Amino acid sequence: MRSLKILREHKKEVVDSWVEAVFATYPLETTGFLRTRRDPFTNPVAHMTREAANVLFDAVAGEDVQAATVRASLERFVKLRAVQKFAPSQSLAVFYLMKPILREKVMPEMRLKGRLEDYLDAESRLDTLALLAFDIYAEARETVAESRIKEIKNQHAQLARWAQRLENGPEADAAPAPIPPTDPMDPPAGDPDLNPSQAR
Amino acid sequence: MAKLPTPQMLVASRPAFPDKDWFDTKPDFIPGSYCYPAKMETMELLHMPHPHEWDPMAEDWNLPDDWEKILCDAFADRLEKHRSLKLFMDICVRCGACADKCHFFLGTNDPKNMPVLRAELLRSLYRRDYTMLGKLLGKRVGARGWDKSVVKELFYYAYQCTECRRCSLFCPYGIDTAEITMIVRELLHEVGLGLHWIMDPVKNCSFTGNHLGIQPHSYVEIVEMLADDCETVTGIRPKTPFNKKNAEILFITPSGDVFAEPGIYTFMGYLLLFHELDLDYTFSTYASEGGNFGSFVSFNMAKKLNAKMYAEAERLNVKWILGGECGHMWRVINQYMDTYNGPAPANMEVPVSPITGTVFDMARSTKMVHIAEFTADLIHHNKLKLDPRRNANLVTTWHDSCNPARGMGLLDEPRYVLRHVCDNFVEMPENTIREQTFCCGAGSGLNTEEIMELRMRSGMPRGNALRYVQQKYGVNHMACVCAIDRATLPPLADYWAPGCTVSGLHELVGNALVMKGEAKRTMNLRQEDLPEEALDDAETPADGNAASQGEGR
Repeated sequence: MRSLKILREHKKEVVDSWVEAVFATYPLETTGFLRTRRDPFTNPVAHMTREAANVLFDAVAGEDVQAATVRASLERFVKLRAVQKFAPSQSLAVFYLMKPILREKVMPEMRLKGRLEDYLDAESRLDTLALLAFDIYAEARETVAESRIKEIKNQHAQLARWAQRLENGPEADAAPAPIPPTDPMDPPAGDPDLNPSQAR
Repeated sequence: MAKLPTPQMLVASRPAFPDKDWFDTKPDFIPGSYCYPAKMETMELLHMPHPHEWDPMAEDWNLPDDWEKILCDAFADRLEKHRSLKLFMDICVRCGACADKCHFFLGTNDPKNMPVLRAELLRSLYRRDYTMLGKLLGKRVGARGWDKSVVKELFYYAYQCTECRRCSLFCPYGIDTAEITMIVRELLHEVGLGLHWIMDPVKNCSFTGNHLGIQPHSYVEIVEMLADDCETVTGIRPKTPFNKKNAEILFITPSGDVFAEPGIYTFMGYLLLFHELDLDYTFSTYASEGGNFGSFVSFNMAKKLNAKMYAEAERLNVKWILGGECGHMWRVINQYMDTYNGPAPANMEVPVSPITGTVFDMARSTKMVHIAEFTADLIHHNKLKLDPRRNANLVTTWHDSCNPARGMGLLDEPRYVLRHVCDNFVEMPENTIREQTFCCGAGSGLNTEEIMELRMRSGMPRGNALRYVQQKYGVNHMACVCAIDRATLPPLADYWAPGCTVSGLHELVGNALVMKGEAKRTMNLRQEDLPEEALDDAETPADGNAASQGEGR
């Protein structure tokens, strides 16, 4: 319990430093805005980063938190990074940016008080949380991929039905097969790799 | 020994201060951040200037030899033609009020997505050629000349703006950054740069009238299929009048309502409503598209594609036009149609509702009424029998589509209708709705799947607000009056607020509408089971039930 107390005492500075470290992954021109506005709707990135930071720290410190609660709070943050222009490693490496902060701000005191083992446990919890974030990240990317497919299907839902009806319906013999309508989803001609069958 | 990078090195946090001026920071074209270019054959068919093959990822975009002159001349021409553009170039004081209002900026954190800086991309070019200080001091006063990387930059950011105009709401000078984007897109077209997702529908519209290029007979058959579906649900097969001369009303709606899910259910709502009213109306198989992707290309293209509305109104000799649930279609009608295609044909009259006698004065000039206004008026006069219990499974919120909301002030009519067809209605936070509404993130021709990631981040502010009401109030549905929204919000909701469905307003009207002689309804228009509440008591609420009826006059 005494270790938890030490960690709690450092919460604000660790959380603040981590939030700054996350903001530093964005261009400097935008960080002023991220720092100063607090509204959850007009500055959503800062809000979700701060929410994630608090929950992340509590979980690392060993507070009594439920996995589901942690997941819900990290979800928005991870989902955002999953669709921003980062490599997967860059998206999730931010979690590990908490380690150097903890080592600087918390570890010396814990070592001094003979609580190094507890400190290492806390760092291990951070590893677990990063893995949890990896699950969220992978799911998010899968949702994006599925959305692409679903969208293509939905855009032509009625056309597909209509074409099927023509093919299977009673008038199938009489009516020639419909000419497939021009498809606005086709990739451009300039990129043969994407669409080998350019013929319409 | 090989050294692995540390997490810090992987993240590669930027230097404490930028090592480069914004002039010199260039966009990174990676898959998922740009849309596919238009096909050369499409551009040729449309007689667009300088059609050519090019690839956004390539170093060389194969611009015409005299590209710089073309662009400078085109810019001079636009400045001459649009006084507003010259004003917008001159009067910005870079106060930054717009900076954090853009959903692209909020989602990408890219400083050049601040509307002020996005506009500055063009303004810096203007400054060099049109201001004394710029001519004399150049870069020191934010002036720069054209080069090929500037063209790339303009392309990148002109297509990271959905022309939603949220920024202009906050501009103390009323600068319409959306119109600056429109001009930049026009300029890029002068050197043959356009998007496939925009130009293909434009081509199809030019030749057959609608975005998918569906021929008239097929269009009719698909609408008939939807009428069959209406019969399955209600026992009544609504009439489907096409090209009926001398009808009182011509109805024009985006073709997305006819071809795409979930728009088709909204379309079924229209069919049922018009049938129940015994409305003297007609569809046109030529004006089979309300949407106008030309408005994402150039003013001339928008004008050309919009012309079919009046042409058909004249040919069919109708008195006025009723317009379906579309976004940019209404921006074009409300802001530009008079100038583009006006005055309305002589056979047209000031719209009057044949059911209530209401004169739609606000449409005196264009002769076009939005269906939300039409239906709100019907409900207000107790002309519809509605059973909102059929939508009792929904806790709905309302997404103000940018164009109807900011472009024409359509804020209360759809809410009024929604409250009468659905008992559970919750607003999203006030700084994300009405005039301050956040864009779906994919309007203005950006609703293409190759930039799905970009759409998820640009739509994040909207998704974030939806997620909030979902968690706080159990919202499970979002209604809207825009066909692009109906296409783009479902994936956005799946990502940011999984479990929320999306529909048009008139799908919910169609569900709630109690029709004369209808069979007992057990399904909604999506052919899903109706909620228990609607089945328990087959009788509809008594006439005059305050919850479902209008106030009357």
